[in-house]
Amino acid sequence: MSTDDESFHPLGNEWEGELEEMLDDTEYDSDLGMKMAQDAMRVTKGELSEAEFHEMYHDDVMEEFGVDDRPTEAAYEQAQEEQKGTATRMLEAFEGDGEESRRETMKKMGVGAAAVGLGAWGTVDDGPEANLAAADDHSSYGKVENDGTQLGMVIDLERCDGCLSCVAACQEENQTDQGVNWMYVLDYEEPDGDNSGSRNRLVRPCQHCTDAPCEKVCPTTARHTRDKDGLVLTDYDVCIGCRYCQVACPYGVNYFQWDEPSVSTDEIKQTADDMGMDGDHMTDHRDRWVDSRAPRGVMSKCTMCPTRQDGHMGDEKVGTTACEDACPPEAINFGDMNDPESKPQQYLTNVVQTRAERMVDGQSPNRENVQESYNFLEGDVELLEMEYLEDGDHDEIQAALFIQGELAESELTLEDEELREVVIDIIGDADALAELEDEELGTLADVLLGDASEGDVDSDDLDAANTAIDAVITDAEEGVQAVVDRYESREITPAEVEESLALLDGEEEPWVSEAGITDEGSAQNVLEAYAGGEASTFKLLEDVGTNPNVTYIGNEPGPEAEQVEGPVAYSDIGGTDNRKDVLDEKTVGDAGVSL
Amino acid sequence: MSTKTPSEADILRPVNNVSKKYFMLFGAAALALGAFLVAWMYQLANGMAVTGLSDWGSGGGVTWGLYIGAFIWWVGIAHGGIILSAAVRLLDMDRYMPVARLAELLTIAGLSAAGFYILVHMGRPDRMVTSVLGHYHITVNNSPLVWDVTVITAYFVLTATYLALTLRYDITRLRDQLPDHFEPFYKVMTLGYTKDEDEVVERMVWWLALAIIIMAPLLLHGGVIPWLFAVLPGMPGWFSAVQGPQFLTIALTSAISGVIIVAAAFRRAYDWDHIMTDDVFRGLLLWLGFFSLLFLWLQLQQNVVGLFKAPVNVGVAQQATLAHPLYQLSMGLVFLTLAFIFAQTIRPSLFSRTRAIVAAFAVLTGTLIEKILFVVEGFFHPTFEIYAATPGEYFPSAIEWLSLVGTTGLVVLIFLVVSKLVPVVELHAVEHLRGDHGHGHDTDESETTKEVKA
Repeated sequence: MSTDDESFHPLGNEWEGELEEMLDDTEYDSDLGMKMAQDAMRVTKGELSEAEFHEMYHDDVMEEFGVDDRPTEAAYEQAQEEQKGTATRMLEAFEGDGEESRRETMKKMGVGAAAVGLGAWGTVDDGPEANLAAADDHSSYGKVENDGTQLGMVIDLERCDGCLSCVAACQEENQTDQGVNWMYVLDYEEPDGDNSGSRNRLVRPCQHCTDAPCEKVCPTTARHTRDKDGLVLTDYDVCIGCRYCQVACPYGVNYFQWDEPSVSTDEIKQTADDMGMDGDHMTDHRDRWVDSRAPRGVMSKCTMCPTRQDGHMGDEKVGTTACEDACPPEAINFGDMNDPESKPQQYLTNVVQTRAERMVDGQSPNRENVQESYNFLEGDVELLEMEYLEDGDHDEIQAALFIQGELAESELTLEDEELREVVIDIIGDADALAELEDEELGTLADVLLGDASEGDVDSDDLDAANTAIDAVITDAEEGVQAVVDRYESREITPAEVEESLALLDGEEEPWVSEAGITDEGSAQNVLEAYAGGEASTFKLLEDVGTNPNVTYIGNEPGPEAEQVEGPVAYSDIGGTDNRKDVLDEKTVGDAGVSL
Repeated sequence: MSTKTPSEADILRPVNNVSKKYFMLFGAAALALGAFLVAWMYQLANGMAVTGLSDWGSGGGVTWGLYIGAFIWWVGIAHGGIILSAAVRLLDMDRYMPVARLAELLTIAGLSAAGFYILVHMGRPDRMVTSVLGHYHITVNNSPLVWDVTVITAYFVLTATYLALTLRYDITRLRDQLPDHFEPFYKVMTLGYTKDEDEVVERMVWWLALAIIIMAPLLLHGGVIPWLFAVLPGMPGWFSAVQGPQFLTIALTSAISGVIIVAAAFRRAYDWDHIMTDDVFRGLLLWLGFFSLLFLWLQLQQNVVGLFKAPVNVGVAQQATLAHPLYQLSMGLVFLTLAFIFAQTIRPSLFSRTRAIVAAFAVLTGTLIEKILFVVEGFFHPTFEIYAATPGEYFPSAIEWLSLVGTTGLVVLIFLVVSKLVPVVELHAVEHLRGDHGHGHDTDESETTKEVKA
């Protein structure tokens, strides 16, 4: 690549002369341009670092052009943190694995050429505005890894019950058209027929790939990665609607706005105002229109809710998405995939534990309930004081104890009339008294409560009624015993799950009694039996090289997997599964056949 | 060869005469283009929902369809046309000199139709300039679509320069016989002309031809156009190294067919049987046969590789393609053409100009079908074919069909207009046919010609 003349440029003096002439034709300082070009070549030879090069001319460039968006800008910015420039990495991404030395040279040549070309030309062609708009995100082009925040999701497919709540929530939040299912959930079958075992279901938002092919092919930079958090977004003001992103995306997550959207921007803004949003739910913190449904003629897809991430919907919505909020079994875990402490990464580290924690939340009998049951059996607590009763109702027990004389009238919390109703309910349920009329039951209750004389009722009925009253107490007591028995028999109840979780979390003696879970091995077994085994994780089409930022837990669909009907139909949530059904209505001369 | 001697008057006949038939054809072509323009306005007013397109995936359709298929087809015709013309100049294939300029014009017209398709295909064509040019310095690093725009533009410039340079020679010499009402046009075209430039221009044209011959297979229809598809791993119907050569054969077959049709039309309209001789058509047919063979050979490669023991996604896509009746029709058309061309080589009496025209139409139909199907089938069978709505459904809407009529009208109009402005056959060609080689490299030319013909 070297020449024997004294030109700085590998193509020699003649070319250099031409460059100079080219620069002379512009309104900008050609001396500066040539000096820059010479030093750019030094960058290619490795004599000068990109950051140094950038710094060297920054002031001059600012003075001359009013804006400095040379490709070395990012390198300069990152130089403090790391010695390796972004522009270099950017080029690396295109190269793939090649010979190192040749690659180095080519990369650096690229920077040199870009400096000559862009420093003098690019700035002339487009005003500062166009450049500023794009400048924000160049550095993310073709990046290999993002050291900063990279939002993404961990989706636990074993937990998803296919209710489509996420789909509906997404559609409502983003006000997308019928069939524009940015979030899509599908059940599938493998062709080999082995569809037993765990469920075959896929939750499909945009994968917000680190190496997003959609972004790479975009002829306008409309599809871009937001520097702040790695979200892959579409600038609705820039997109030309060529649909190449949709062509390049291997997942099929893009939805083009084929006609006028059903909800106007005014309505979106109005909704945002009504909800007290700090913004219009369309423009993000950089003032780029990237959120909510797309306008006509441009591309849209799942955004992972930038309005929420920018804090426009309040601090409590930062770090959440509409679909995540709406998911009843909490299968969707949204957060920073680069942060080991984040919600999704934590979930991923302890899939079984986290899953069990969420499953057991609010379930009974828990540890406290078991402890209470022990306390009752040891006489430390009265039946009526118990918070958890597996069999029995506090009102019925109160009534029974009062009738049995175990409870003074002053201790009653029930009003007279309520008490009478409760008693009628108890005896009405007794098989022996099933034939009695309501009125007769009432009289019987009055007798039991001492408000009527025993002569008013049949003595057999009265015996049966007394038996029913006694049963209330014995059933309740037996229920308490059963809680303890189940605990001691190591049946997996929420209490055991809680103990196991606490034990694995490092708590020393979390068990209610020695009969519970006391060793980590059992604890692990309990959790796996309760919440499912350590399921495998996968990313969709990982070998395509997109570096997706959604990690799934559960079954990975095979290459021949085929969608089947799920438990809930899209029409059940007021949606449309196949958008073509909607679009065909507007097709001019729809022949009703297909190629 | 004909007994008549070609003259300047022959090639000037289209410029200086108009007929009722001319106006009728002009009217029909304008009507075709006009009808589509109205349809396009309707599309702009109502959105692209008026097409048969939809989203692939859960959206149950294809996002690129006839517009893109026809775009590639027109670009192919254009690229093939200029390769043909450049080859004529570069390799001194003087036999085809009478159709060289027609091939160049076909390039300009084809590129115009293709460029128009890009606009028609866009959701927001109004942003073409701001969005694409505004970020060009970034996107040119990544986007095959930007490479495409870049190379097609470069190509258009090359072709136009090439055409303009050769026209200067002709216009200067024939100026007296050209109509005066286009005087300003001729003045611009011959601005600063001196006789001294002839030699320089000839060299420039040669270098341009060389550039085109190098660029076209490597970058154009063997490069950026197929790369739009071939580089996308998510679509096994496209992801293949064979697309470059495959596209190139399609371009060349389509272009030769196009030239055959255009040349036949001019020959018939202006009694040019002594200029565009049967010999030219026989030669073009041979080339058409050669490239059809390559075309079918590359299709065979794809089918064997895709069907023998391919990965699931590739196998599914190739099987679907092969089983598609339109694919079979397309291959059948090209195969039959090839069979005819071989047959008429062995038995020359089988040749007739009508048959050549039928063969040309058959190939053009075959390549158009193949191209549209290629685009659509890619979406029908993506790697991620899990969706119940894949393979999707697609049938071009009335507006999309009309676009074919409209762009054909546009191309015809361009030919009709240009033929009234300048000679569509080069003066060089006439000089050559007459045997006076007064334009530069006369000494060894006849030998080269003989060699080429042999």
